[in-house]
Amino acid sequence: MKVTDLFKEGKFVVSAEVGPPKGINVDHLIEEAKEYLGRCDAINVTDNQSSVMRVGSLAVCKALKDAGLNPIFQLACRDRNRIALQSDLLSAAMFGIENVLALTGDHTKMGDHPQAKPVFDLDAVSLLHTMGLLEKGEDLGGNKLDGEAPSFAKGAVVSPCSDSVDAQLLKMERKVAAGAEYFQTQAVFEPEKFIKFMEKAKQFGKPVQLGIIIPKSVGMCRFMNANVAGVHVPEEMIEELKADKEKTKAGITGVEIAARIIRECKPYCEGVHIMSLGWESKIPGLLEQAGI
Amino acid sequence: MVNYTKYVLKSNEELTALLADLDNIFVVACNKCFKEFDTIDEPECAAFCELAAAQGKTITGTARLDFLCNSVQTEKKLEGVIPEGTQNIVVISCGLGVQIIADIEDKPVFSATNSLNYIGHHGMALTEKTCDACAQCYLNLTGGICPITDCTKSLLNGQCGGAKNGKCEIDPEKDCAWEKIYQRLEKQGRQDDFAKQPVQIRDYSVAGVEEIKKYVAEVRAARFEGFYGGVHPVENKEYTEHIALQPFPAPKQVIIPTGQHVGAPATPIVAVGDTVKVGQKIAEAPSFISAHVHSSVSGTVTAVEPRKTSRGEVTCIVIESDGKDELHESVVPAKPLDELTPDEIVEIVKEKGITGMGGAGFPTYVKLKPSQPIDTVLINGSECEPYLTADHRLMLEYADDIIFGLKAIMKAVNAPKGVILVEDNKPDAVALMQEKTADIENIEVCAAKTQYPEGAEKMLIKRVLKRHVPSGKLPADVGCVVSNTASAKAISDAIQKGLPLIERVVSVTGEHIKTPGNFMVKIGTNVQELIDHCGGITGEDVTLKMGGPMMGAPLADTNVPVIKGTNGIIAIDTDHSETVECLKCGRCVDVCPMELAPLNFAKWVDEGNAQALLDNNIRDCFSCKCCEYICSAKIPLVAKINQGKGMIMPLLQPKK
Amino acid sequence: MLMTRLKSNEAIASLVDGKVFIINCHGCKEVGFPEEEAKALQKELFAAGKVTGIMTTDYICNRENMKLRLSYHKDEIDQADMVLIFSCGVGVQTVSEYLEDKKVCAACDTIRLPGFQGVTPQEVDCGQCGECFLNLTGGICPITACSKSLVNGPCGGTKDGKCEVNDCMECGWERIYRKLEAMGRLDVLRCPTQIHNFATDDATKECKQSK
Repeated sequence: MKVTDLFKEGKFVVSAEVGPPKGINVDHLIEEAKEYLGRCDAINVTDNQSSVMRVGSLAVCKALKDAGLNPIFQLACRDRNRIALQSDLLSAAMFGIENVLALTGDHTKMGDHPQAKPVFDLDAVSLLHTMGLLEKGEDLGGNKLDGEAPSFAKGAVVSPCSDSVDAQLLKMERKVAAGAEYFQTQAVFEPEKFIKFMEKAKQFGKPVQLGIIIPKSVGMCRFMNANVAGVHVPEEMIEELKADKEKTKAGITGVEIAARIIRECKPYCEGVHIMSLGWESKIPGLLEQAGI
Repeated sequence: MVNYTKYVLKSNEELTALLADLDNIFVVACNKCFKEFDTIDEPECAAFCELAAAQGKTITGTARLDFLCNSVQTEKKLEGVIPEGTQNIVVISCGLGVQIIADIEDKPVFSATNSLNYIGHHGMALTEKTCDACAQCYLNLTGGICPITDCTKSLLNGQCGGAKNGKCEIDPEKDCAWEKIYQRLEKQGRQDDFAKQPVQIRDYSVAGVEEIKKYVAEVRAARFEGFYGGVHPVENKEYTEHIALQPFPAPKQVIIPTGQHVGAPATPIVAVGDTVKVGQKIAEAPSFISAHVHSSVSGTVTAVEPRKTSRGEVTCIVIESDGKDELHESVVPAKPLDELTPDEIVEIVKEKGITGMGGAGFPTYVKLKPSQPIDTVLINGSECEPYLTADHRLMLEYADDIIFGLKAIMKAVNAPKGVILVEDNKPDAVALMQEKTADIENIEVCAAKTQYPEGAEKMLIKRVLKRHVPSGKLPADVGCVVSNTASAKAISDAIQKGLPLIERVVSVTGEHIKTPGNFMVKIGTNVQELIDHCGGITGEDVTLKMGGPMMGAPLADTNVPVIKGTNGIIAIDTDHSETVECLKCGRCVDVCPMELAPLNFAKWVDEGNAQALLDNNIRDCFSCKCCEYICSAKIPLVAKINQGKGMIMPLLQPKK
Repeated sequence: MLMTRLKSNEAIASLVDGKVFIINCHGCKEVGFPEEEAKALQKELFAAGKVTGIMTTDYICNRENMKLRLSYHKDEIDQADMVLIFSCGVGVQTVSEYLEDKKVCAACDTIRLPGFQGVTPQEVDCGQCGECFLNLTGGICPITACSKSLVNGPCGGTKDGKCEVNDCMECGWERIYRKLEAMGRLDVLRCPTQIHNFATDDATKECKQSK
């Protein structure tokens, strides 16, 4: 089911995310998804996330779909040239996977194969544009597709708390121009920044899903502050995690914080996207606390 | 010549779209590089202006420059050139030029061109061979044929299945690289070696951005530190730098030229048959810019006649030595330095025939009567010429005398400060000079990065004092006097011992001198005797020079005397370079310390365009030869420029 | 521009097979040549009696000159089992073409530096992409100033204005944004989606053949 249709219905769209394993056994991933992500409208499947080689996003999407879940195929430009990207898009459509999230992708140097040649033949913008062409029954080379054209719910990402938010907005505008129909954001820990961002992003008229990461520990927050672009966990939040170590360890504090952020931002956005990073089991509780 | 120009004009449609939003345009066009150097006017600029005019756009002006990417020179050339009322700048150049202009100018800068996508760099001499600079050279596995650039797919492990009749599947005109590699390896019997190679996987992460950025920053900082341009030839100083100075055995005969200096030759004041003593004046300066000449031996004058010297045929005074080395009565120490007046010092320097001893031989006393106030005296201990170690040894063995000489010059010109510059390839001399001057408040030692031609006055002044001596001006115009170490020592000898300039230190060195060394040699000693004393010349194909390899004069005949400016006799490999056409690589422009464009001089000399030579300051060239050293086409640029300096003479005559 | 870096001692040792003739290229030495390291290594080889001759010259990529100069060392080359070259890749290829029957090996790796011409490398670079994007970017090249060569704006990897690949590098797109903002030209970024064309070599071919 296309997430874009849900937005059209006026639904507050909830998605979560699973990371394919480095190996071929995905049973556990499917089981967890079935158990905890039932309330989600869609599930993102990451594409060699952080440039770390794993089992393919498309294959896991297919497995999720077979299990009755609604996958979002994340497609990064780092590892494929325009031929492979278009081919994978057709493959996805062939399996009935219509939700695609276009990403440029982290640089190869960030991952576990730093020697790899970074491709970046296309980028997220040109990939969205290419998806539009395919939907018209045409490929990037100007050739006609055989038979019925594929149709996608074309998603993209944006980083609302980035320190260069204006440049991000401009890129967002370009993504919209290239055909992006909805956005998922980088994890938000600063609701006021997000709200400010949304005031400006409103002009594009595209639904935006608030990105959420459940803060697991002080160390995790410090790591993200130091290393993850566009993410900043405020000091008072870190203090909150410090206050009761047992409560934090059990995930209770993290879920409280995440739920609070969702509640604060909910009036300004059209959905939420939860990057659970292994804490899939916390999602049902989080949604409940957030009042969704 | 293959045309390797880096850009083409964008299509008319693209340019029309670009121009739609622009008006009041200034056009900067690069004259292109890596091309046949025959036209100055590249057509792109006119074509663009025409198109803009057709769209009713105003062009506020155009500038056509060489090597836009030379940011230092481009910035200077564009100063004040762009007229008021200009709103946009359009650049016709490769991407480097566009970015450099965009950096320099505040106005919006646009590109009217697309850079062409050559794969790999092609070497400085134009060649079809390319190198992708992959940082992991595979040529050792492939018989010297590059699989990265020659194979369309950059395959590293052998041929793909796409070759047909030995041609590439992408380009039927292109040989399959792996087919060529196979044939080459087969010819050398190395196929098995290749077969046994482990699987090759390219590592795209070698030579990271950090390393390159750091390196570029270092290179740029080093290149623009001190003075613009310059080179660092192989030093080759190890032949003699550790060999102590030896007094050269007294010659039986000396031939002392009357013209060893810049200016008029001295007039002989002795005649055949006269007996002379060491230090006796034997020829007198006839005019302001000239120098007296003294006898370096005691004995009898046997001839006063023109003889061959390294500076051409010059009147010489030939003296047979009596072997006694008796001093002339004029050789008496002067008063202590404290008691000497500046005028008295200048008089001593003049009387004792002291000249610059670094090569040209400008009379030193003239420098000591500057027209401007002097604040700094520089002692030039850079000895930037390869091979030569004369000044180096002098600094190590006569440090006190050099410092005494510096003090004397400072007193003569009333300068409050003295600086001794030594290149950092002579750390022992730096340390010794520092130690010796530690207690002297107004004398500093400057250890400068080794860079040729640091020893040139104008470079030295820029390096030490960051002052620019303008075209046609002298060091005194910026408040400096520069003297070399040997002259400083000579001044010390003149004051402390009363000795005129009758001997000097000479390095006899080079890969073809059997036993090289540094010697204290009497002026007028025969060069061949010096060479014989060092065991003679070894090997074949030898070039002999008086001075260093860069600025030294070729010695076709070694039967010439050592003169005041002879700092070395070198015997080095002959250069068998063959000149090819200028390929406009721009390297001469990059290294010229006077910020000239030597390639243009060569072209204008060939065209007979004396006016252009004059207008572009050919007289600023002091023949340091950096351009020739770096020239990728091996053009004898300095010879051309010297020819050009002759060509402009008629233009300099006052009009009748 | 380029610089050369010596291969590791082990790598060079494994290449040396019998007697060697050594060629040093000093043509681009002003840019980057591991002079001291090369000298030390050659001294070692020489001391081990493995060297038939050493030739130090410039621009070994200059084929005409190189031919002549190599001919002066014919005997030494003939005595050698292989030729070891200290130069960039172009030099090695030039010599190995001329000495087709000899094993010719490279002792250096070649690394590209920003900038084309002249001995001085540049802080700016041109990727020679064949479809200049500088008009959309305020004169800052997105191909070379962005690690991913993105042509439609920044990725999400910028942190404190630095590139995710290496924090010694400013984010190229932030620089572009700032420049355009200062010029009041942010509107140029509202251009159609840019797609990089990797097949711009026809124009190159044409130009190369023209005189």
